[in-house]
Amino acid sequence: MKKDKKMFILIEAVLGTMVIILAFIMLREKNEEQGYQISVIVENSDDKQWSAFKYGLKMAAEDKEVEMAMVSTGTTLSQAEEKKLIEQETKNGADGIIIQPVPGANTKRMLKKASGKTEVMLIGDAPQDAEEKIEFPVVQPDHYEMGKVLAEELLKDYGGNLEGKKLGILEGEENSESAISREKGFTEVLQNTGAEIVWSDTKKAENDGTDFLESKPEVDFVIALDDNSLTAAGECAAANNLHGAIIYGIGNSTEAVYFLDTGAVECLVVPDMFNVGYQSLTELANGIDKSSYKYKRPQISYTIMRKENLFVKENQEVIFTMSQ
Amino acid sequence: MKNKYFRQLKQLKPREIQTTIMLAFSVVSISMMLVLGVILYMRFSNSAREETINNTQKLMEQTGENMEAYLMSMRQISDTVYYNVIKENDFESHKQEIQSGMNLLYEANKENLRSIALYNDYGSLITAEPVAAQKEDPDVTSQEWYLKAMEEMENMHFSTPHIQNLFNDTAQSYYWVISLSRVVELTNQGIPQSGVLLVDMDFSSISRMMKQINEVNNGQYYYLCDSNGDIVYHPRQIQISDGIYDENNKRDSAYKDGIYDEVFNGENRKVVVNTISYTGWKLIGVIPYSTFNHGMVNIRYFVAILILLMTMMLVVINRVVSLRISSPILKLNYSVREYEAGKKPEIYIGGSQEIRHLGYSIQKSYEQIDDLMKKIVLEQTERRKSELDALQSQIHPHFLYNTLESITWMIEGEKNDEAVFMISQLARLFRISLSKGRTVISIKDELQHAQSYMNIQKIRYKNSFSVTFDIDEEVYSYCTVKLILQPLLENAINYGVGGMEDSGEIVVTGRKQEDKIILAVCDNGLGMSEEEVALVLTDSNRIHKHGSGVGLVNVNSRIQILFGKEYGLLVESEPDEGTRVSICIPAVPYTEENRKTLEKGHIIKSTGERE
Repeated sequence: MKKDKKMFILIEAVLGTMVIILAFIMLREKNEEQGYQISVIVENSDDKQWSAFKYGLKMAAEDKEVEMAMVSTGTTLSQAEEKKLIEQETKNGADGIIIQPVPGANTKRMLKKASGKTEVMLIGDAPQDAEEKIEFPVVQPDHYEMGKVLAEELLKDYGGNLEGKKLGILEGEENSESAISREKGFTEVLQNTGAEIVWSDTKKAENDGTDFLESKPEVDFVIALDDNSLTAAGECAAANNLHGAIIYGIGNSTEAVYFLDTGAVECLVVPDMFNVGYQSLTELANGIDKSSYKYKRPQISYTIMRKENLFVKENQEVIFTMSQ
Repeated sequence: MKNKYFRQLKQLKPREIQTTIMLAFSVVSISMMLVLGVILYMRFSNSAREETINNTQKLMEQTGENMEAYLMSMRQISDTVYYNVIKENDFESHKQEIQSGMNLLYEANKENLRSIALYNDYGSLITAEPVAAQKEDPDVTSQEWYLKAMEEMENMHFSTPHIQNLFNDTAQSYYWVISLSRVVELTNQGIPQSGVLLVDMDFSSISRMMKQINEVNNGQYYYLCDSNGDIVYHPRQIQISDGIYDENNKRDSAYKDGIYDEVFNGENRKVVVNTISYTGWKLIGVIPYSTFNHGMVNIRYFVAILILLMTMMLVVINRVVSLRISSPILKLNYSVREYEAGKKPEIYIGGSQEIRHLGYSIQKSYEQIDDLMKKIVLEQTERRKSELDALQSQIHPHFLYNTLESITWMIEGEKNDEAVFMISQLARLFRISLSKGRTVISIKDELQHAQSYMNIQKIRYKNSFSVTFDIDEEVYSYCTVKLILQPLLENAINYGVGGMEDSGEIVVTGRKQEDKIILAVCDNGLGMSEEEVALVLTDSNRIHKHGSGVGLVNVNSRIQILFGKEYGLLVESEPDEGTRVSICIPAVPYTEENRKTLEKGHIIKSTGERE
């Protein structure tokens, strides 16, 4: 074959290869534009306490251009149900799942299994497991700090002297890591202040209603450490069934704010759930994007609200995220 | 250094015409295509950019108009409540009318309204629509809308969005509203007093409008801020207040309506500003430069693919064209090479007119070269042949035998003097015949040779004829081909005077005429007819009856080979009158140099000019 003919075939082959490569890149970029799918599994997903969280997820999904789906769940979520939902979402092609871990002995094992198939992000600590020592990426408020701050606010109101005061503590999910941390933070501050914790109980779903609290021994303060407990206590107080106890609590729903606004609750510590949603999804999307991504643990702030400062600009924005 | 590169560049020069044509075509066409592609892309991207900005502007104008219409309607509600309901009625006596008037307006605009409320100058609620329980202590007088209304009593005031903090909502919800407040004059129990009329607009109406235009997810977005730069609506409002996202709202709000270029957080962007009437709010459209590229990425790839495909096509076309142009030239070149290698004598003729012409010319010149070569070969052969003939004539055995026999007879007849004379004449004849192997000798020598020959012949023929040499002396020193007179004399004896008794006469003359030498041999013998004369110089195959066998043809051709075609023999004859054969040669002086030149085959004209 003549030299120039060889050269001609070579040039054509090189140009042809370049066309194919460009077409391939073009098609791949088009496919990449479709984005990831991220599912979110939290207990009682339709509850108002998740409004800010959902809004944060939605905003992050828009910013990161991913598809976000909130899995609908009932008022309680068992470990078996959560496992089933995770499997179902993985099967449906979710690239990542944001999970509120339910308390239970095998939660970590279950999550480990799930993380083998898809990226997992938690919005709460999974229960400690002696056998499985795995760290999952977590985005959550500092529960211990919030408990501590709530106790400090209580102390501040009474000049640091709670001698002879009786307290009743109402927790959310039994045995949940967040509830344990909050209570720990709260009780540690109140040590040696003379306050007496008369009772400490969990507000279970079957105990809904005010009867449950009414039946409790009379106390000076009811400390509600999660949104459900706080709204229950608020309702009770609004109905004047709390024997004049003053409520301090942690909450993140408009109901909680309403009870503070109406005076049923004295002080409210509000975790920035918008940021929990926003940061968890952003981190997860980054993690899916790059397999070598090192998850950060963003600092989630909280706001101390009282009736007097309820409508200052900063708090209005917090309420705005809850009202979405 | 420069030379080195130049040399390298020279080495790179393609050697084949096809490669050169293809390379030149490809470079020109591909660079033109690239330039065209870049220009087209730039024009396209510019017009796309302009269109994006125009679309943004139009969309913003439309949204601005919608928003103005909405705010206008709110103003109208406020006006209607004030002028048609509050101002017309006394609160003491017409409470019912006021309530129903307000209710009517509220019901008609329920979708956009949260509430209509009227407060007195102490901040106490006079009436509200929809009727709702007021909060325990909303502290109305310290709320911004109230303060602003009281500050500038003659104006209406639009607030930034805020949570309505006035009524107890049984649904435990909090609503975002924009408050339109103004100071009004009302009559209570006939006493005029002032109050503040508050129309709370549902923020969702405005946020819906903004969401609608923010749906395009290509990096472009729109936000709303008041004249101080405080954000009214932003798609990333919470992210901004949380410090996750930044906006240049303080600066953007200071712009007047128009399009601005700015760099914010290291990003180039275009900002389109549109002011909303009544409120002084600014509707701001932000187009990051990356938005322009968003849709262009695919177009870039597309253009690149198109250019590559066109290049592929051009390479094919260029190859076809260059092949078509160069193919005849290459074929011609190939056939010439073949010819040079001695393989094929046919020259390729084809392709365009010019190439065909070239082919014809080359073919023709090759044919001519062939002919000339053949001619040269023929001439050389002839020359050799005639020289051989001349040589043969010098030692013609018959002549030699006859002469030697005559000498023998003379010696036997004791005619010793005659024998000596004969031998000395023969010796001279041979000396000149040999002439050291020279072809060209002087006329003097040639005449000497002729005389010796005639002396021998005269004795042989017993002086039956007479010979006269009538030569001008000046011709002696010119050049001549050797042994040209002898065949002439031989012919004169054999065909002319040989058979005559005593009256035979041969005259040899030599003259110089201008630049020619004419040597002539005349006899008064039998002569020839015209036909015979015509054959003497043309028919070389004539059978010689007598003599050395070297005909006049041979003499003629030897003269012409040496001196040129214009010279040679001229035969004139009349039957029974005699024959005259003239030799015509150029007058070339006999020198060693001229001799050598002539012997090498160069023709010298009488003027000394060499060909």
